[in-house]
Amino acid sequence: MNRVAFFRFVLCCVSPLLFAGCGKYDPPQFSLNMVAIAKQQLPFDQQQEVSNILDGMFGTPDKPFVLGQGKSIADSETGLDPKKLAVAAGPVRSDEFGRETGLYRRHCGHCHGTTGDGLGPTAMLLNPYPRDYRPGKFKFKATERAAKPTRADLELIVRHGVQGTAMPAFGLLPDAQVDALVEYVKYLSIRGQVELRLIDAMAELGQDEKLQLTRANLVDEILKPIVESWNTANESIIKPEDKPDVELATSIDKGRELFYGTKGNCAKCHGPSALGDGQTSDYDDWTKPVTELASDLRGEEERLRTDTDLSNEDRVALKMHVALASQALKADSLPPRTAQPRNLRQGIYRGGRRPVDLYRRIYAGINGMPMPAVGPASPGAKGTMEPDEIWSLVDYVLSLPYESISQPPHHQPATLSKANF
Amino acid sequence: MNTVSDVKRDLWDDANRWPHRCAVALVCATFPLIWIGGLVTTYGAGMAVPDWPNTYGYNLWLYPAETWINGPWKLFVEHGHRLYATLVGLLTIAFLVSAWWCQARPLVLWLGAIALAGVLFQGALGGMRVIQDQVQLAKIHGCFGPAFFAFTVVLAVVTSRRWQQGRLSNQLGLGKIERLAIMTTLLAYCQLVLGSQLRHLPAGARPGDFRFALVFHLLTALALCVAIVFLGLRIVRTQRREPSLLRPALGLASLIMIQVTLGAATWVAKYGWPSWLTDFGFAAAYTVAADSRPQAWITTAHVAAGSLILATSLLIALRSARFARASLPVAAGAWIAEVAR
Repeated sequence: MNRVAFFRFVLCCVSPLLFAGCGKYDPPQFSLNMVAIAKQQLPFDQQQEVSNILDGMFGTPDKPFVLGQGKSIADSETGLDPKKLAVAAGPVRSDEFGRETGLYRRHCGHCHGTTGDGLGPTAMLLNPYPRDYRPGKFKFKATERAAKPTRADLELIVRHGVQGTAMPAFGLLPDAQVDALVEYVKYLSIRGQVELRLIDAMAELGQDEKLQLTRANLVDEILKPIVESWNTANESIIKPEDKPDVELATSIDKGRELFYGTKGNCAKCHGPSALGDGQTSDYDDWTKPVTELASDLRGEEERLRTDTDLSNEDRVALKMHVALASQALKADSLPPRTAQPRNLRQGIYRGGRRPVDLYRRIYAGINGMPMPAVGPASPGAKGTMEPDEIWSLVDYVLSLPYESISQPPHHQPATLSKANF
Repeated sequence: MNTVSDVKRDLWDDANRWPHRCAVALVCATFPLIWIGGLVTTYGAGMAVPDWPNTYGYNLWLYPAETWINGPWKLFVEHGHRLYATLVGLLTIAFLVSAWWCQARPLVLWLGAIALAGVLFQGALGGMRVIQDQVQLAKIHGCFGPAFFAFTVVLAVVTSRRWQQGRLSNQLGLGKIERLAIMTTLLAYCQLVLGSQLRHLPAGARPGDFRFALVFHLLTALALCVAIVFLGLRIVRTQRREPSLLRPALGLASLIMIQVTLGAATWVAKYGWPSWLTDFGFAAAYTVAADSRPQAWITTAHVAAGSLILATSLLIALRSARFARASLPVAAGAWIAEVAR
């Protein structure tokens, strides 16, 4: 290396250091769900209105606010405890007595994002992606498929983490801190659901129509049903019927038949060897809005290129939507990944390893995932499997890590190969 | 019978022993400070004491020891960091006083004064970070710490006896060693700056920000590894009989291996095993334990090892520059050499 080249290298190294740490960051703000906004093609003034309503109803990341703060928690509109939210929100601080605030920002925000949109700085590099709380869907819970998780469900995940993912176990945190974090997750989730409802409500408005900013509309129609679904989660806990008194080997054989048979058809996704190598072309419910928007975008771009009959006005509107959708996909979403079925031979079950956990997983499926429910969709309805069959399937799944992989499966559906997708 | 040169050497020893001892003590004291500072960030304890220079209204030194030791862990770490930093400040003053007392060369006095200014600046940066509660200042404070540590190594090197011996008789490859060592030092510091971007993430950062910093952190790590290998090979080939170059080169090679391992371990401790490894049972069964001791210490060790790499590569750069000639290639170096002469 000659001397000139060497000093050029030195200059290249030193010049970025001169600017390291420069630049001012404003206090973090909640961001809008741009994918939903782009899907509904909300104009800028309506986006601003959604943002203003949300700020009025929920406050900011530094100062969260819930309606009815002066009332008792049970009587307040959100059922959320402002004291717990104050502990979890805001910048990271602690005092002489060990009281800490800013727990969410310290422990969760870097993956789940300030808004709980699963778009934290580290999110892109993690697999699976961190959960987006805004649709109000949670995978691992003891309740019916469409129901919200109970407080205990969320606490369990926070305390024990999720094996094989970046979701840590916060078991070392004091109970009060875990409690505050769970409350804040609920807060972000309720906020996100209200946002989605507001976006839909805005999209339904006719031209020159304005959203009614009344209590009856915003609180009674939009907020309350969402809060109600959270408050009644305990009523939706799946209570399995007692396990039938059948010999284990018999139950496992029956479970195997169900696993590979058309009734259960678990092998379709979990694979003929239950290694999780079956169908992997489906997306989860958090990714579907992104793939749908991307598909819409492709269609609109194609239309812009090929449709010569478009009026100037339509062309401008279409171009604006293309720009909005492109920006949403670029800045407010992560590259789509297909849902990965679990490898059941490892004996690792992210939603809990107790038989009752697996029963609930099979009974209600996994909310937001392609994993379907085999239990009844609503109380009193009939599911595709009886409780004793679900128990047999649980026995078989629990026996899989100990079953020889060379043991030929009883049945192989024809469309299992990855190449078919 | 003593020769004139023996007498000169003895005189030098008597006169310069204390500045060098103080400088070495300063190096030894500053390295743990890097660790403690790293722990402050790792545990999110930067705002555990909201005032500065006082601690909860008390003078820093008069804060009740019982409350500090038996208090919350974050308070223990943050207040401990401040107390320990004052010790480093006192050692810097001790170095300057010893240099003045022993009538050291003007170069040493100047370097001592710069070190004192540096430690005061670093303390003020830490204080501003607390008063303004700015992550950006924390980042600058975190980057300046290793720079100060490297500077204490400069003090120790220029006050050492080996420095006085000046030019080596074997000049083979020294120019290239010097250039490679400067390049390695700069890369090591770039790497520290990039690492601090990863550690001090602003709350409003987006996914692209972290990925950008991480990709550059990995690329710089690769470049640093290559630079260290080339530097080591060059020293082994041309200066293997010079222990003052060979030993740090071997140390640097060991450090980079430890550092790469620590870097990978930091990722695993914070974010788990990569998804492509989850076909293996150990990775699929692994759960990240937030705020656990292994997580905290592995991450902090990665930070501290980065500072050691910086300091060691700077040591080689300084020695090779000194051994190559009485004057250094750049203007600043020429000035230092001029004063030294």
